[in-house]
Amino acid sequence: MGALTGSFPGATPTDVAAAVLSEVADRLERLAADPGASETIDLHGLPLTDAERDQLRQRLGQGEVDARLEIVGPTRITETAYAGVWWLRHADDDDRPVLEHIVVARVPALLLAHADDIADAARRLRAELDARGAPGDPA
Amino acid sequence: MTATKLLGDLLRERGVSRRAFLKYASYVTSLMALPPSAAAAMADGLAKAHRQAVIWLSFQECTGCTESLTRSFSPTLEELIFDFISLDYHETLQAASGEAAEAARHASMRENKGKYIVVVDGSVPTADGGVYSVIAGRTNLDVLAETVADAAAVIAVGTCASFGGLPAAKPNPTGAVPVSELVRGKPLINIPGCPPMPQAMAGTIAQILAFGKLPELDALNRPRAFFGETIHDRCYRRPFYERGMFAKSFDDRGARDGWCLYELGCKGPVTYNACASLKWNGGVSFPIQSGHGCIGCSEPRFWDRGGLYRPLSAGTTDAGRVIAIAAAAGVALGAGSAALARRRSAATRALDETRTKQE
Repeated sequence: MGALTGSFPGATPTDVAAAVLSEVADRLERLAADPGASETIDLHGLPLTDAERDQLRQRLGQGEVDARLEIVGPTRITETAYAGVWWLRHADDDDRPVLEHIVVARVPALLLAHADDIADAARRLRAELDARGAPGDPA
Repeated sequence: MTATKLLGDLLRERGVSRRAFLKYASYVTSLMALPPSAAAAMADGLAKAHRQAVIWLSFQECTGCTESLTRSFSPTLEELIFDFISLDYHETLQAASGEAAEAARHASMRENKGKYIVVVDGSVPTADGGVYSVIAGRTNLDVLAETVADAAAVIAVGTCASFGGLPAAKPNPTGAVPVSELVRGKPLINIPGCPPMPQAMAGTIAQILAFGKLPELDALNRPRAFFGETIHDRCYRRPFYERGMFAKSFDDRGARDGWCLYELGCKGPVTYNACASLKWNGGVSFPIQSGHGCIGCSEPRFWDRGGLYRPLSAGTTDAGRVIAIAAAAGVALGAGSAALARRRSAATRALDETRTKQE
């Protein structure tokens, strides 16, 4: 009966997952009309069992992009079989999932380098080149 | 000077990118059930904030609150909170001791005048001039008054600091009182629990840092994001309750099959906390999932409310606070509890409105 698993004995397994899929469809239509849109569905707060979440993940399928990020613990961003629908899985160093999101956008914001980091990188690279001279220069 | 640098720049030097801020903010907004779109604003706010000076005072306490905050996180994402703050004084964690430790506290108070946050765990004894808890010859009363004088805000962590907790349990020989009875004219947040949930402590501080204001609080000064719902509201055993399927003893078939623990004294219906949704030990479990009813440790006077194993329907000795649910069996109980929750919410709202008018 799932006494120790934290499952919801009263819910039909597909109830919540079906609701999430319907929400994704709505938001994807919005993205189709407005390419600048970006919507995030937080799966953490929903009463999904592990099995339901796995079903949902499988239902959405696999797209072309599969990105692994190392940001204070591993994050994996995968495109689903539906262009513009992304699955984000944040984990800690023990690969324990910390949270999972479905993002409906052209590209999830987390993949983009932040302007502040880019500015810092530009300064750093220029300073390194100035200090060492041209690439390959033994001096 | 690290003090003048923004957190975004300070942490970038240590290899923490703005992506890390966004990931952390996504985590915190998820914990607080804020809309996911708030994560970007929180990440921006955190990156543009200065490292927050925190002075942690420990009074009549068992160090369980500190254990909860420091030991339940795996050393990655959640631990970022310790990069966002500068913990300038904490008797258990700081390397300095004796006069050097007190000098560190005074230095932080001087350098961060009007800006530092005071965290208090433990209640404060007031009987006989406060002599029942004394550090380096100074009473807790004295140290608290001195330290909060120039603080920006005070956070009472744990049930002792928030509501008096065990030291204030009857007959309360030391005259223990919560921080709220001693601190006036300062923003005060209560994060009760014995111990409090680490996510509630870290999330509250992160929100203050990012948005520069206190989170939304309820009538007992608890952040609504973590204390807005009862354990019962989010309990995975709730469907058994609705169907009237109750364990009658800790070793019967119902208990083994995960039925509702209401009749075994579970205080979930009247306990506001996030254990059922966030869970403990990295999301592994929480008391009810381990087969024991909620003891209501985050509520005022939980120790004096008539026994941990007495069902709520039997009433409690503290009837003014906890509305006794009429003893009834089966599905009728669900209706009773829903009514109770509504009355409780209405009472909380009314108190809030009164408070707002007074301000």
